Amino acid sequence: MTAPGWVPIFLKEYIHFRRKLFKLGYIFSAMVAPVIYLIAFGLGLGSRVMMGGTDYLSFLIPGLVAMSSMHNSYTWVAGMVNLSRLYFKTFQIFVQAPVSSSAILVGEILAGMVKGLFASFLVILIGCIAAQGFAITMPFILALLMNCFLFSALGVVVGMLTRSHEETATYSNFLIMPMAFFCGTFFPLDRIPAFLKSIIYLLPLTHTNILIRKGAMDKEGWLSLLLLLFFGALFFLWGKRLIDGYDE
Amino acid sequence: MCTESVIVVENLIRSYRDVRAVDGVSLTVKRGEIFGLLGPNGAGKSTLIRMLTTLTRPHGGRAWIMGYDVVKEREKIRRIIATVPQEINLDRELTARENLEIYALLYRISNRREKITAILKRTGLLERQHSVVSEFSGGMQRRLLLARALLTSPEVLFLDEPSLGLDPQIRRQMWDLVRGEAANGRTVVITTHYIEEAEALCHRVGILNRGRLVALDTPSSLKVSVGNYVVECINHEGRLVQHFYHSREEAKYHAYEQPSNVTVRETNLEDVFVKLTGERIE
Repeated sequence: MTAPGWVPIFLKEYIHFRRKLFKLGYIFSAMVAPVIYLIAFGLGLGSRVMMGGTDYLSFLIPGLVAMSSMHNSYTWVAGMVNLSRLYFKTFQIFVQAPVSSSAILVGEILAGMVKGLFASFLVILIGCIAAQGFAITMPFILALLMNCFLFSALGVVVGMLTRSHEETATYSNFLIMPMAFFCGTFFPLDRIPAFLKSIIYLLPLTHTNILIRKGAMDKEGWLSLLLLLFFGALFFLWGKRLIDGYDE
Repeated sequence: MCTESVIVVENLIRSYRDVRAVDGVSLTVKRGEIFGLLGPNGAGKSTLIRMLTTLTRPHGGRAWIMGYDVVKEREKIRRIIATVPQEINLDRELTARENLEIYALLYRISNRREKITAILKRTGLLERQHSVVSEFSGGMQRRLLLARALLTSPEVLFLDEPSLGLDPQIRRQMWDLVRGEAANGRTVVITTHYIEEAEALCHRVGILNRGRLVALDTPSSLKVSVGNYVVECINHEGRLVQHFYHSREEAKYHAYEQPSNVTVRETNLEDVFVKLTGERIE
């Protein structure tokens, strides 16, 4: 029996990830940003704030899970695709192999999801210990998986579009960083100024943050899930188109 | 060597901005042939290879490999070819065996463990199979690239400057491997700017200059076409001047007429290139 086409692509990235995993610095770097936010906002500022009847830390942890999963999935895939395409030329092995562009995409996305889920797991672990009102619900799991998927797919798109490794930082600064701060990670969306709201609701992390905090699915939750599916499909098809059109 | 044409190229064109890297190249390569593309850096050799291996899309003309169109039937072509690229595109953080495992999975090779062991043994890398590639010397990395390409038992093997940076002994071992593959009926296209490599290995050679194919024939016929012997002397401006002759006697006779510092020797492919283009291969 032969393995599906995405297996070797995923396996290669997984070996890289596994090797890095056992280096202490890597685990530390995956944890450092959420831990800093947790201490600064959650334990410092948040100790005096209540959010709709729950403590701020219980509000913050799902947001940090969304942010970490976005950041780690996106950064890993965008960096890997960009470096392997432009500098190591290992991406060309996949492009030249008799596997479909969808298989390449799925392999890269799954690798990004593993990285995103690993980083999220560390934050969830802290949440389970430190936040009393924190709970893992079905919408939470759906939001987390969709978030890892769509930001890994976006990572492929950015990795394929950029013409230098430095350029990936530009996308991070203009796209990923604003999303991390304005899409409901640290404060509820109803406190965002009205003029910003229409833009904020067009960004995928907003809907991850809405869905991830739902105890059970309601109308708003279904709408956010639908939009996350839309963003996931959009980035997937865009990535597929870029791989199909690969030309040196 | 069989007379069946495995590669057919018709008026292939590729431009980068205003520069035509490949400018109307047409050629055919037969089954079991070792076909050399010779030319200086920037002549268009690698671009031509990239178009034939489906990495680069032509801007004009057409090409087929075993009847499959390089633009319309890319996936079919990818099943029957293998490439040794100019850049060492191995995963440096993976071991030699892991690199081959990933490649074997991509090409859905059956009995991959046995085949990987066999190819590692054949290329002299079996003892280092569990070492990460970043610990390999340049020569070992090039051998691993060749091992990877041979793993899929391709119908057509493309080698883009395969012996770049190899020491002479390893280079000759690689030539033996390539000859062995051609003897087994595989077609080999090799780009090089090493004259002795083209002469030692290739059944036919195409000379490329500035994207154009300026000559195509067997190495011996190419040399005959300009003259088998060359008389070299330095002129009063300090420049090397070459005169070509068809016999040694004729060459020696004319050598006596030259004032000083005269060399008479057999023509090589670089002389053919210089004669045809007025430039040197570097």
